[in-house]
Amino acid sequence: MSNNNSQGSIRFTGANIVYPNGTVGMKDLNLEIKPGEFVVIVGSSGAGKSTLLRAVNGLNRLTSGQIEVDGVAVPQKDGRELRLLRKRVGMIFQDFRLVKRLTVMSNVLIGRLAHVPGWRAMFNLWPAHDKEVAMKALERVGITEKAWIKASQLSGGQQQRVGIARALAQEPAIILADEPVASLDPVTTHQIMQDLVRINRELGITTLVNLHFLDLARKYGQRIIGLRFGELVYDGSAATVTDDDFRNIYGRDFTEDDVLDEDVID
Amino acid sequence: MAMVPPKPARNWPLWGGTIAFLVAMSWWSAHGIGFSLTELLCNSAGGTRLLQESWPPDFAFLPRLIDPFMETIYIAIVGTVVGGILSIPVAILAARNLTLGPIIWFADRNFMNILRTLPDLFWAMLFATAVGFGPVAGALALSVFTIAVISKLWSESLESIDMGMPEAVRACGGTWLQMVQFGAIPQGLQHYVSYALYAFELNVRASMVLGLVGAGGIGMILETQRANFEYERVTMIILAVLVAVLIIEQISESIRKRLA
Ligand SMILES: Nc1ncnc2c1ncn2[C@@H]1O[C@H](COP(=O)(O)OP(=O)(O)OP(=O)(O)O)[C@@H](O)[C@H]1O
Ligand SMILES: [Mg+2]
Repeated sequence: MSNNNSQGSIRFTGANIVYPNGTVGMKDLNLEIKPGEFVVIVGSSGAGKSTLLRAVNGLNRLTSGQIEVDGVAVPQKDGRELRLLRKRVGMIFQDFRLVKRLTVMSNVLIGRLAHVPGWRAMFNLWPAHDKEVAMKALERVGITEKAWIKASQLSGGQQQRVGIARALAQEPAIILADEPVASLDPVTTHQIMQDLVRINRELGITTLVNLHFLDLARKYGQRIIGLRFGELVYDGSAATVTDDDFRNIYGRDFTEDDVLDEDVID
Repeated sequence: MAMVPPKPARNWPLWGGTIAFLVAMSWWSAHGIGFSLTELLCNSAGGTRLLQESWPPDFAFLPRLIDPFMETIYIAIVGTVVGGILSIPVAILAARNLTLGPIIWFADRNFMNILRTLPDLFWAMLFATAVGFGPVAGALALSVFTIAVISKLWSESLESIDMGMPEAVRACGGTWLQMVQFGAIPQGLQHYVSYALYAFELNVRASMVLGLVGAGGIGMILETQRANFEYERVTMIILAVLVAVLIIEQISESIRKRLA
């Protein structure tokens, strides 16, 4: 499951997304992300964070410009090429997106769909190797003992760990996490963020995380990208980002709603 | 504080008009088919005689009903299973959120509409000309009827599923088929089973009616006995059917309730 740290680069060149109703989701984006980086994307609601993330795996299509993953343009239509790209890009969602009626193991194996012949997945005849990869992924997030339990019986934090394990089972070069902690309590939030950082360090998987809490962005980010009305307005190190930078990204003063721990506001 | 708006007054002219319209329509329609209460009363003597001849039911005839009754059930089961399987792709391709493209969606929708518009008796006649009168024609007709019932109901319930999971399967590099199998079907499975049971209930009843026109089973026995003026046996058949249908519906309904 290791990453040789030469995979997982992303490059946006003059990328634009205009939704059918005319809303601009991404505006002339030029951005380069190196293999193994841990990038946190911030911006107020509607700034285009999800739009950016979903463009990387082709869930959102560009109106113009280009995105490349490891030097290969992200295909802008459904088909085999797009599936091959998605195979290498794991995604984690705010609402976990698990099949509640199925076991944790079955859910994690969904991450292996693109790796096995179609008939094997269809009849639930997973090769031993793929089951092992799924088990290792569960091990990585520390919930091996839940493998045969129904997903519906897990807590929110455990469900999100299954979501992470499903992404890891893809043996991805890139992980996209769209507000992965927005439906979790503060304690679980920190655990999940730590998991994501640790996995990034251990496996060298390029990780993009959308967050709307500024203190989390500062604490866990390596590099912070700020968006406003679909435009890149900040790109810098998390260690040096100032409160003024955040005010500029948000276009306003920030409040308790923008931080997880209210004490960080003075 | 938000004000609660006053309750609107009942629209009496609308109510009166509606009732008057319904009464007029009923009278007009009854007149149209020659339905008259006086005539009905004058003919009641014939009706009374028929009732007397039909009582008591001929219980000795009961054992001879078992085989035809089972045949009726077999027809219903084959129709439900064959139609139930075929309805799966029909329903999925007719669900706007899952279909493979606007042309396929449009074609499938129209196919479903045609199936549904034509009554089961029509399909029985059609298949009877193809494979001859008998249980096979009946089962084929019920298969078509089942596709019509399940695909209509299920495609609508599939349209209301949460598309998050299907999108997650797509995001892992899954194909359309995998998106359907792992993302959509788990959410629609309970409804599917429930609709299939409902289709089975309808099929048991429809299979008896098809028997009247020669598709075999209990309906055919009923028709032969009626033609031979064996009214006590006819009563027996109707009673047996009534009890059997009630039992089947009770079982099916309790399974469906448990699923819901
Ligand atoms: N499918 C769509 N159709 C039309 N407009 C859309 C669509 N998806 C997003 N938008 C619009 O594009 C803009 C960017 O949306 P996006 O979801 O990327 O924002 P976000 O930064 O992720 O916001 P949030 O923090 O609320 O998740 C918003 O104005 C949104 O309303
Ligand atoms: Mg978003």
